[in-house]
Amino acid sequence: TVTAQDDKLPIPGVSIKVLGTTLGTSTDPSGKYTLKVPSTAKSLEFSSIGFTTLTREIGSQTVINVVLTSDSKQLGEVVVTALGVSREKKTLGYSSTQVGTEDINRGAPTNAVAGLQGKVAGVDISTTSGSPGGSSKVILRGFSSVGGNNQPLYVIDGVPINNSRPGGTSADGSVGDISENYDFGNGANDINPNDIETISILKGAAASSLYGSRASNGVILITTKKGKAGALKIDLSSAASFTNVAIVPSIQDQYGQGWSKQNWLAENGSWGPKLDGMTRPWGPIINGDQETKPFVAIKDNFRDAFDTGQEFNNTLALSGGNETSTFHLSYGNIYSDGILPGSNDMYKRNNLSLNGSTKYKGLTVTASANYVGKNTRAVQTGQAVSGIGSSFYEDLLQIPVDYPFTNFKDYNNKFYNVDNYFSPFAQNPYYSVYENGSRFKSDRFYGNVDVKFKATDWLSFQFQQGADLTNNATKFWNAKNNPAIGSWAGGGNDEGAVRQESVGNVVEGAERYFEYDSKFNALFTKKFGTDFDINALIGVNYNDRGYRSLYTGVENLAIPGFYQINNSANDPTSTSAESERRLFGAYASATLGYKNYAFLTLNARNDWSSTLPSNNRSFFYPGANLAVVLSDAWDLSAAKISFLKVRAAVGQTGSDTDPYRIFNTLSRTSAALGFGNIIFPIAGVPGYSVSNVLNNPDLRPEISTETEFGGEIRFFNNRLGLDVSYYNRVTKDQIIPVVTAPSSGVTSRVVNFGKVRNRGVEIALTGTPVKSENFTWDIGYTFTRNRNLVLELPDGLDKLILNTAYDAQFVARVGQPLGVLEAPVAKYDPQGRIVVGSNGFPLLADNNGSYGTSQRDFIMGLTNSFKFKQFTLGFTLDYRKGGVFYSGTADLLNFVGNDIKTLYNDRRTFIIPNSVVQVNNPGGGVSYVENTTPITEGNINALYYTNNGKAVAYKDRILDKTFLKVRDITLSYSLPKSIAQKIRADRATLTVYGRNLITWLPRENRTIDPEVSNFGNDLTSEFGEFRTGPSVRNVGISLNLTF
Amino acid sequence: CKKLDINESPNNPPVESATVETLFPSAVISTVSRTGGDLSIIGGLWAQFWTQNSNSSQFRTVDSYDVQATSNFINGPYSELFAGALTDYQLGISKSVAAQDWRYNLMNTVMKAYTYEVLVDLFDKVPYSEALKAGGNLQPKFDDGYTIYTSLIAEINAALAKDYKTAPLTDAQIKTDFVFGKKGTSADVMASWEKFANTLKLKMYLRMVNAKPAEAQAGILKLYQDGAKFLDEDAKVDIFIDVPNKSNPFYEYNFRRLNTPDNLKASVTFTSWLKKNQDPRAEVYFGEADPISINQGDYLGAAAHPEYNNAVNVVVNATDAVPLISKEESYFMQAEARLRYFGGAGAKDLYDAGVLAAFAKLGLNGATLLATTYAYPASADVNVNLEAIIVQKWASLFGSHALEAFFEQNRTGYPKTSAVYSTDAGYIPGQLVYTPNGVTGAGNFPRRFVYPDFEKSRNSNTPAQVPIYTKVWWGK
Repeated sequence: TVTAQDDKLPIPGVSIKVLGTTLGTSTDPSGKYTLKVPSTAKSLEFSSIGFTTLTREIGSQTVINVVLTSDSKQLGEVVVTALGVSREKKTLGYSSTQVGTEDINRGAPTNAVAGLQGKVAGVDISTTSGSPGGSSKVILRGFSSVGGNNQPLYVIDGVPINNSRPGGTSADGSVGDISENYDFGNGANDINPNDIETISILKGAAASSLYGSRASNGVILITTKKGKAGALKIDLSSAASFTNVAIVPSIQDQYGQGWSKQNWLAENGSWGPKLDGMTRPWGPIINGDQETKPFVAIKDNFRDAFDTGQEFNNTLALSGGNETSTFHLSYGNIYSDGILPGSNDMYKRNNLSLNGSTKYKGLTVTASANYVGKNTRAVQTGQAVSGIGSSFYEDLLQIPVDYPFTNFKDYNNKFYNVDNYFSPFAQNPYYSVYENGSRFKSDRFYGNVDVKFKATDWLSFQFQQGADLTNNATKFWNAKNNPAIGSWAGGGNDEGAVRQESVGNVVEGAERYFEYDSKFNALFTKKFGTDFDINALIGVNYNDRGYRSLYTGVENLAIPGFYQINNSANDPTSTSAESERRLFGAYASATLGYKNYAFLTLNARNDWSSTLPSNNRSFFYPGANLAVVLSDAWDLSAAKISFLKVRAAVGQTGSDTDPYRIFNTLSRTSAALGFGNIIFPIAGVPGYSVSNVLNNPDLRPEISTETEFGGEIRFFNNRLGLDVSYYNRVTKDQIIPVVTAPSSGVTSRVVNFGKVRNRGVEIALTGTPVKSENFTWDIGYTFTRNRNLVLELPDGLDKLILNTAYDAQFVARVGQPLGVLEAPVAKYDPQGRIVVGSNGFPLLADNNGSYGTSQRDFIMGLTNSFKFKQFTLGFTLDYRKGGVFYSGTADLLNFVGNDIKTLYNDRRTFIIPNSVVQVNNPGGGVSYVENTTPITEGNINALYYTNNGKAVAYKDRILDKTFLKVRDITLSYSLPKSIAQKIRADRATLTVYGRNLITWLPRENRTIDPEVSNFGNDLTSEFGEFRTGPSVRNVGISLNLTF
Repeated sequence: CKKLDINESPNNPPVESATVETLFPSAVISTVSRTGGDLSIIGGLWAQFWTQNSNSSQFRTVDSYDVQATSNFINGPYSELFAGALTDYQLGISKSVAAQDWRYNLMNTVMKAYTYEVLVDLFDKVPYSEALKAGGNLQPKFDDGYTIYTSLIAEINAALAKDYKTAPLTDAQIKTDFVFGKKGTSADVMASWEKFANTLKLKMYLRMVNAKPAEAQAGILKLYQDGAKFLDEDAKVDIFIDVPNKSNPFYEYNFRRLNTPDNLKASVTFTSWLKKNQDPRAEVYFGEADPISINQGDYLGAAAHPEYNNAVNVVVNATDAVPLISKEESYFMQAEARLRYFGGAGAKDLYDAGVLAAFAKLGLNGATLLATTYAYPASADVNVNLEAIIVQKWASLFGSHALEAFFEQNRTGYPKTSAVYSTDAGYIPGQLVYTPNGVTGAGNFPRRFVYPDFEKSRNSNTPAQVPIYTKVWWGK
């Protein structure tokens, strides 16, 4: 009998080989086996998926009972592949990684992909926001779509789900356009990580093509926990943690409040005199009353601006079943209060999941129903619309270094209130935290019904219907306030400046997302003779999805503090949008096995999409892959090789486009100004004008072609393993609106264009350096290097602008990686000397220069796990090297003189080194003479901003993206069974964990965590951030109990 | 398959459903949002009505003549005038020609010409003959300014030759005319458009006096021979209200939407002239009879000038109209035509009418000053008279009409430029000064916009870059 060490239960299906022969058998359902062995045979080998392979001497025994220990590394042996089909991993001709629930939930994350950071090769996962419930960004094998979506498709138990970010449905600049200011998280973050059994990551075209056009960026396949036959099982997982701010800007501590070296009390910056420690008055003068404090930089000012947040993450699950029916019911609750004071950054989530299955003869019916209720509050990030309200982070960055941030928390105090906030150029940051805000409520249902029918032992049918429905209600508001005339901020300050009034606003929005997915498959499994077997499926798929949204807002509130659309003399403005798309797919796949060691898979799919012109709407894409398990073909045990496989794949994926890009339209007229707009209707007259985007009736589908080679090798009884992949993917005919010369009458047109190539190497190394009865050390290392190149752009374009901030542009350029940062640079004379203007400031070169790519050089991850008796210590390191990003936080800190970089030359008068001025020769031509005009100490501040200093300011705000993070550290203690059973538990584990505890940044970036962004969670976010919040770290404790 | 035929946008109507009644007001707002907004702000900085405040920085690059091809000050207006305004005028013209609707044909043609002229005057050359063909030509060639001018005049003449009077506009259609709709009846509205068309032609011919003197003279004489009626009223868009997104574009941009309303302060150049002449317009333009001002472009000079902290803002209201051609501008142009081509006969009366109209618009009476300081010189020297006309025109173009002041200075050289800065004892009030932070080299005043990056990087036919201080084809 073969039994398992953990639960002492028999293991069916264990394969038993007589070493040195071809003889063998496997265990029956009760774990028993019998085997005739020749007398020459020395030993038996017992192997089974999920268990360590064991070799036993036969000797003279006739009954050999063995106990197998489970091997977590080998759990990946059966993986879920396309369309939810479980396959033996060895049959796959492409790289596939599967991560189990324990690895995912080790640090008790609130979203599933956060648990994968640093653990999987070829995957780049970032958390783009430190606010609770914020979005995550997942990129598999680099960016390939210039304009569109680079996020993978998320599939739960075979059914695709909605992964949109709320607020993305409204046109840019319209009342519902909140995507850069509020991050309410992406759809995939709604899934309770505790409900997940495994996550499989399908990176390449070969793996994902059967999912159709949406899978061209890879697939995250999530398999949820199911009930198992046996007694009722109760799982309780409970975690509580503290959250605090991880990275805050390092600020200079030499110069205090003021501008141009003078100590103006109303200035929102630190361009004043040198800090001297003398006690001085500061802030407003109110009826002759003024506060005093020492003129010194405040230590830990930024860190103290934040509070400690809390997070509670609890899940209770009940599961069980009998031979025919099983169920799994779980309830998850998250309560998270972020790092800002008060309850204005909050994330509350309830997950209720039920799935069950039942069998009757050949029929198996499985159903899953999930409800997610969310209630989120977030503060605004990015740039506030001036004249309406203000934004916390923007205001925080503009406080002089000698002003104690914490004082301002008392925002009703007479020295810090609306009337008397020290600077008319900003507002008290805590005013906006407490008085402005947002509320996001979401109700979501998703689930599926899956009916399988086994017609014969080689043929079965499957029908699956999925649905995913979300209703969101959003409200956000800014308070109305205006400093009293003559008050400090109302003009009574030492500069006579009057603060802009905030008229306040309120916006209400509703969004509804829907997705229905149906598929019907026929599956064949058959053996031909002893050598061949075939595993095939053929199926059809229908997908219908879209959204409706409506936002209404009004500016200038009548009654302050009352946030209702009618509360204004102005008419509300509205924006609404609908989108719907449908797709038919037909596909087939067959895996041909030879002697259970060589596997050839052929795939093909044809899609018909509603988003393409009717004559181009059908597109076909095939693929093939081959896997050969050399260690099964030959006995390599002599070379200590326990497993060796090589694989190769080639495949295509096709992709459609967004709806409504075929026919030309009008749009409601909104004439843009440098700031603001004039929007119709005006004077009772409606206005519709020709859309600035030219659509295209001749669009073709985008096609990506990918080849992949790789292999897996394991030595020393699987103690050391290496998995290597190389891939080359070329995406061509991408569909995006490409900018066009305005003189053509439109500013962009939708076209198929260009080619982008991604090439890369992924390496995963696993090892168990130490393994003994009491102590085990497991180590995992991943290395990912993706090289991205834009091969072609549309005719007439040398670059394509993807995103901008001031004069900095995020562009695609032929021969460069996708996403290069270009910004103003200084002009140089032929001898390489910097050319300055008559004012001594560097002149701008005619064209922007490159500051580098946003793409990383490489990514490395390292996981370690030390098991000593009942204790397990684990940690994960995540290192991402290279790339640059634009920091809107840095640009503001430089402007106001708070950044460390503004201390150059101790802020003394100087002449730009090696600088010349241009002289126009009387006879034509130019020459250059040495510059003698200094930048005076009163004007040095202008060197750090995009006006006089534009030519040199960008180097201080485009920063290195490199970081090294300790993603998680966990220390677990599993209670011994004897103790656990006293509380009637089968298993009890207590874990102390930390998430993102330590972050190292390079010297060049002392400002902000490069992971955060408020430019969404796709390619545009690679550009950087614009005054978004800091990242956070967590320390907590969790308890997992199984009854 | 029917199930897949769901790709018509529910959010935007098909382009085939466009009507002249929805296109025309859209295009007019696109034109004035830029001419009366950003471009007037820039025009007024370069015509030295106002200057960048030393505590803020929004317009520093403009006030130091450092506006680069990538700047939004250039790309924004260029893009909106072409893709926002001209596309809609062009479609409006096609639609009205197809329907033989000669009223909207005239209205669209005049506004198209007006908008194109602004582009030519800013950029010297722009695409015209191959422009506005959408996907039909993505790399339109650039045409020279004179060719575009003559083509536009021909378009106006063709539109004027049609019968736009017989079929009256309905009341609902009159409402869509933001320029003259307030006149109420179709006959009055169309009569005003005719005057606007003639005055626009006069303006374009006057622009040619340096580069094409013979053609300018012939064109103007023809107008007079034909008994053309010129504007004796404002051609202006006057429908703005103090509501977000519906206000005067200068106000909406600089006062409502910028983070501080304190960017634009009175310039010593203009206020010193007002003060010297005891001109009561100072009170309307700046809110004070003797406004504290900043020397033009001296935004880094606050340390030496503590008074800069008390400099006053420009006064532009949310409800201010955006003039296209103002009544006084029409009189000043007619005065110039009389001065140049009729031996000065009638020039004085038109000059006087212009000055009085300019004052009356502000609720002031200019009669006293007109009798003394501002009296028409009636000099034997044509240039003395011309200077008086153009300087008075300059003083009337404050606010959302300031771009025209910049153009007219480029054409005539008035107001004159000063050899010394405005802090110098020898400074003559009202002369334009070279900014202390200028990057073009002393005396090199801006005379145009450089070609925009939006065009340069997408259209290989864009001419090579020329410096911002190169005059346009009609410049003096």
